[in-house]
Amino acid sequence: MADEVIQQPQQETPAQPPDTGVRRERLAWAIGIAGWLLPGLGHALQRMWGRAVVVFLAVGLLVVAGATMRGNVFSSNGGDAFDTLGYIADLGTGSFYLAARALERDGADVSHADGDYGTRFLATAGVLNLLAALHAYEAARGRKA
Amino acid sequence: MIATNGFALTHFQAFLLFAAVISIAFGFLGRRRPKDRIKYILWSFFLFLAVGIGIAWAMYPFSR
Repeated sequence: MADEVIQQPQQETPAQPPDTGVRRERLAWAIGIAGWLLPGLGHALQRMWGRAVVVFLAVGLLVVAGATMRGNVFSSNGGDAFDTLGYIADLGTGSFYLAARALERDGADVSHADGDYGTRFLATAGVLNLLAALHAYEAARGRKA
Repeated sequence: MIATNGFALTHFQAFLLFAAVISIAFGFLGRRRPKDRIKYILWSFFLFLAVGIGIAWAMYPFSR
C-alpha cells in the first residue's frame, strides 16, 4: 500500500484564548462603571489624562455651581415622571450626587431664576458624566479613542 | 442678577459658563489632536452663543 500522507489543514492565524473577548468586555464594563462612579476615573484608568481631568473638572464645576445656586437635587421619592427623570439625570454624576446633596444644606429654591439654572446645571452634569462613562467604555472595547 | 451662596452670576454669565464648560468637555471627548480640539471647542462655543441668543431674540416679541 502506497504511503499516503494525510495533510492536515494548517491554521493561518494563531489560536486565541476563548475568554479574551469576554475578559475585555468585563474590563470595559468595569471601566465604564468606574467612570460613572467617579467622573474621569474611566479615562484615567486608560491613561487618558487630559480627558480624565477635563471630565472631572467639568462635572465637578457644574455640580458645585448647581448646588450653590440652590438648584433642585432630585431624590428617589419624586412626585411625578419629571422628578423621576431629574433623579436619573442627577444620579448620572455618580458619587458627586452625594456631594451635591451635602452642599445644598438649605434645600432647593427654584422660585428664582438662579435655582432654575442650578437645576439645569445639575442635570447637565449627570448627563455629561454618563456620556463620558460611555466614551470610556467604548474606548476600553477598542472601538473609539 | 442671580444671587447665590457662592456665585453672583447674571443670566448671561450663567449662559457663558454653561457654554464654555460643555464646549470644552465635548472638545476633549470628541477630538484627539490638540489642534482639532481647539477648533471644535471654539466652534461649539460659538454655536452655543449663536443659538442661545437667537432663541432669546426670537422669544422677545412674546415676552410681554
